Amino acid sequence: MAYFKSEEEVYEYIGKLFKDLSVDDELAPKFRKANTIVQYQYSNPKSQITVRMIDGEDEQVDCGPTEMEPEVIMTMEADTAHKFWLGKVNVTVALARGQMKAKGPVAKILKLVPLVKPVFPRYRAQLQEAGRTDLLEAA
Amino acid sequence: MAAEELIDARQMSGFKPFYQFQSPTRVIAGYGLIEGLGFEFAKEGATRVLVVTDEVIHATALIDKVRAGVEDGGLEVVGIYDQVPPDSDSSVVKGAAQAAHEHGADSILAVGGGSVMDTAKLANVIFRHGGEPRDWEGYYGLPRANDGLGRPEELAPFACVPTTCGTGSEVSFAAVIKDSAEHVKFQVGDFPLYPRLAVLDPESTRTLPPAIVAATGMDAMTHAIEGIVSSEWSPHGDACALQALRMLRDNLQLAVEHPEDDAARGNMLIAANLAIQPTHTGAIGIAHSLSHPCGAHYNVPHGVANAINLPWVIEYNAAAGEDIAAKYRDVNELLGLEVGGDGAAVGHALADHVRETVRTLGLPGRLSEVGVPESGIPLLVEGAIGDGCTLVNPVEPSEEDFAELYRKAL
Ligand SMILES: [Fe+2]
Repeated sequence: MAYFKSEEEVYEYIGKLFKDLSVDDELAPKFRKANTIVQYQYSNPKSQITVRMIDGEDEQVDCGPTEMEPEVIMTMEADTAHKFWLGKVNVTVALARGQMKAKGPVAKILKLVPLVKPVFPRYRAQLQEAGRTDLLEAA
Repeated sequence: MAAEELIDARQMSGFKPFYQFQSPTRVIAGYGLIEGLGFEFAKEGATRVLVVTDEVIHATALIDKVRAGVEDGGLEVVGIYDQVPPDSDSSVVKGAAQAAHEHGADSILAVGGGSVMDTAKLANVIFRHGGEPRDWEGYYGLPRANDGLGRPEELAPFACVPTTCGTGSEVSFAAVIKDSAEHVKFQVGDFPLYPRLAVLDPESTRTLPPAIVAATGMDAMTHAIEGIVSSEWSPHGDACALQALRMLRDNLQLAVEHPEDDAARGNMLIAANLAIQPTHTGAIGIAHSLSHPCGAHYNVPHGVANAINLPWVIEYNAAAGEDIAAKYRDVNELLGLEVGGDGAAVGHALADHVRETVRTLGLPGRLSEVGVPESGIPLLVEGAIGDGCTLVNPVEPSEEDFAELYRKAL
């Protein structure tokens, strides 16, 4: 059983997290150093989030269809994305096992991984606030 | 400890929650194998062979021997593509793929160093699946059965005859290629890129200049040591890397000082091949992160950059924790170095040994000797931070740590 019931739920939680991060005074400038546009393509439920992180430009997060042209495409189950933001997915392992697939200059995204660790508690808090403790129990 | 608590930990000992090891390339090593190339490659399904190489190798007697060896097995050499430069490029990959089509090849044989082998690997992808080289950038992205979840589709039969003893590309699943139009190096990695056959015959390194043996040998040493202490280490990788270090200990200097020593050169091919095995589990480290930008911005040869950067990285890592130092102790033990004392002492002993090795091999010991200016450090740091190898180092370096490592190596 997938954690998120609909595309909208993916955007409500994971999409919101991306949007919050895009305006975060401390983290957003660091993310922009990636200098890329990354698209997360999720399955179960099928959904898509595109994030622009370009040095010197405002960050942009599109949930669903987008005009942006991604340089990096990360494909995974929405469940894997959810578990990642809970801090329960080791990215190198997930890539090796094919639970996450990466197309494009992956190193640009991998270098962000150490940066996102402080975000995990934030995602947790966000779910708690929304009363979605069911999602916090992800294995 | 529960599995999830280990997600962020860089666990350096004990039972790992997960690792995956595969080494599907059939390796044959010994004398006289070039003469039997066709006999061996036929077992992998090859009949009409495109040879991919560079102009320098094409001008040597080796290619004649390769051709004779292939044909002796009843196979046909349908073409020789020799346009691979030392730092291969997307356009070259396309050229090689096109040559395979034009000559009606059904298989590819790479004869050369890392650049030749990586070019041939990616050319094989284009030959089989079409598209542009950069369309395939990334990891595990090649077409698979069952909507991408099943077995990857096979490429054409592919064999390698390495002519240097460092990269290990003849048994790896990755290719690194430059896109000169975009000024970037990009990587492609997936299971079908593992060559089906690697032929390690000392004949193929007969004319290799000693300075290249030294530099590529230091690259192999770096693969082995970084592999052992990487957060992505594995018992399988360690077994190979430690044996690689024994063989480097016994053969590297010999092969450099006595180029006529076939046994030493043959053992160097095997050592390089074993040294790359930990990278199958993703294990590598920040000596490579430091060296990649030195190559990209200042054309420092990969092996030379690693030889310079490695000792400083060893000292940096070893001082960071007893679990990391314990892995260096394994290395020191087989090299007959000091194994007692704290992490800093263990690291220092090994680092000094590496520096001494570099010196006796006649390689440069400082980045400033190979054209890296102090003013270049900020640019280099940016590259090192963004390098994929940084993520799997046992210690997570800060920007300042990288700058300090470069300053020391300067
Ligand atoms: Fe290397």
